[in-house]
Amino acid sequence: MSVMLSLNAIRKTFNPGTANEVRALRGVSLEIEAESFVIVVGSNGSGKSTLLNAVAGSFLLDEGSITIAGQEVTRWPEHRRAKLIGRVFQNPFSGTAPAMSIAENFAVAARRGQPRGLSWALSHRMHAAIRDRVQGLRSGMDDRLDNAIGSLSGGQRQALTLLMATWLAPKLLLLDEHTAALDPKSADKVIELTREVVERQRLTTLMVTHSMQQAVNLGDRLIMMHKGEVFSDVRGAEKKRLRVDDLLARFDAVRRRECLDDSAAELLRKTYV
Amino acid sequence: MNLLLGAWTIGLIMALLAVGVFISFRVFGMADITVDGSITLGAAVAAVLLVRGINPVLATLCGFLAGMVAGTVTGVMCTRLRINPLLAGILTMTALYSVNLRIMGKSNVSLASARSLGSWCETWGERWFHGSQVPVAGYVAASRDVAMLAAMLIAVSFVSLLLYAFFKTQLGTAMRAAGDSPQMVRALGGSVENYQVIGLALSNGLVALSGALLAQYQGFSDAQMGIGMVVWGLASIIIGEALTGGHSLGLAIVGSIMGSVLFRLVVALVLRWGLNPNDLKLITAVFVLVALVLPRLLQRRKAAATA
Repeated sequence: MSVMLSLNAIRKTFNPGTANEVRALRGVSLEIEAESFVIVVGSNGSGKSTLLNAVAGSFLLDEGSITIAGQEVTRWPEHRRAKLIGRVFQNPFSGTAPAMSIAENFAVAARRGQPRGLSWALSHRMHAAIRDRVQGLRSGMDDRLDNAIGSLSGGQRQALTLLMATWLAPKLLLLDEHTAALDPKSADKVIELTREVVERQRLTTLMVTHSMQQAVNLGDRLIMMHKGEVFSDVRGAEKKRLRVDDLLARFDAVRRRECLDDSAAELLRKTYV
Repeated sequence: MNLLLGAWTIGLIMALLAVGVFISFRVFGMADITVDGSITLGAAVAAVLLVRGINPVLATLCGFLAGMVAGTVTGVMCTRLRINPLLAGILTMTALYSVNLRIMGKSNVSLASARSLGSWCETWGERWFHGSQVPVAGYVAASRDVAMLAAMLIAVSFVSLLLYAFFKTQLGTAMRAAGDSPQMVRALGGSVENYQVIGLALSNGLVALSGALLAQYQGFSDAQMGIGMVVWGLASIIIGEALTGGHSLGLAIVGSIMGSVLFRLVVALVLRWGLNPNDLKLITAVFVLVALVLPRLLQRRKAAATA
């Protein structure tokens, strides 16, 4: 199968040379095949969100290169990469324009990565198309297309953002802990919708999550990160067999190895220094 | 009667300034002081061209374009050179003071003997009303003033409709979204920086257009005429929002126009009652301050009451 996303030894250090120096990505290499649904998990500060932001172009890399659908995008600014990428953020406020209507938000999304000219943003045809898609959510929002999106709940906004991001099928869908800010019930709904959309449109998806349950239930490949590196990459039948306990065990193992490293270093220091 | 007519006309002319300030202040959330310089720029460019005998419509359009250039300069400073928007506005405004003096060659240019929209309105007025005076609601008014008011009403309505239509296009909708949620627009492939530059250009273009019309109404352009104009625009927007409760785009634009006219009428009245004109800017500034702070105070009191 063809490779949709390829990361080649990417590195990023924030605030280099200061007390706040963070080596967020320490040489991550990854190849993701078209139409695969990849879950990324990791502890806080493991670099999982940074990985997603690097792909999206929120910052430029220190080293390494990124190729999406055969195009090298390493130096592309964020808005140019948007032609290839659909995104949903952790914060429901980031993905929508709260003061504008649902329909207007969709009108902006419908031109993702395309030139925006002086034709009407909301033609009758566009309005009808938006109504069709929003109706698919079966949440009654299709009667409120002209209401400001800011009046909706976080879960509703995330569902709409997901529809907006996939209005034009993206080469790559990036989901950055998109249910983390929601209550459990809304989170379940958004996850269900995510599964539906990804399957129906056969999207190549990279999803960061903090939820071990989601990591086990969703996707066909699982990447585990720790301190800016990928330490485990599970796919196929092994991914299907994976349970939450297995995940926790793997994370424990990494942490224990690290403690051992630290205590071993301490021991050596005491002995020789 | 002449006082009212004058207030209405100036109010309408300044409505374009208010709508311009609405774009920078409400759509993009920037306080853009370039306005103080670009209104004079529009007046200066139009006046100098009119004195040379250029067609008034063309001269007014050139004023508009000059304003767009000024806005672009501020926009590029904010976005490409990463200068604080407030400072970028101050820099452009300060530079424009010299530029305006250069354009005019002196501190003011009289249009008394030039062919302008003002002199056109005089001719039209006399033709329509068969004389230099016309009765309006039992009072006698100069037919030039009535014609001028009619002309400005048409011009301002036309420009506002055009602007409303622009903000409903793909580009205009994306620009509004960029002001509302920059991260969303970036993720959807829009360059927030470019939209800000276009917005500031459009905003200052409208402000300069208002300056060009103002010069032709009052018969001169003056290097000092821009002082405090951004506050004037803010006051109009705030009054407009209070009048319309304007949450939708159309209401906000109509509100800015109504706010500008109402504000000018109030100013004309209090001046008539003997307010010292020198105090006008102080009072305007205090008004805007109170209008900006009051909603927050009321909210806090309400929160305290429910707590």
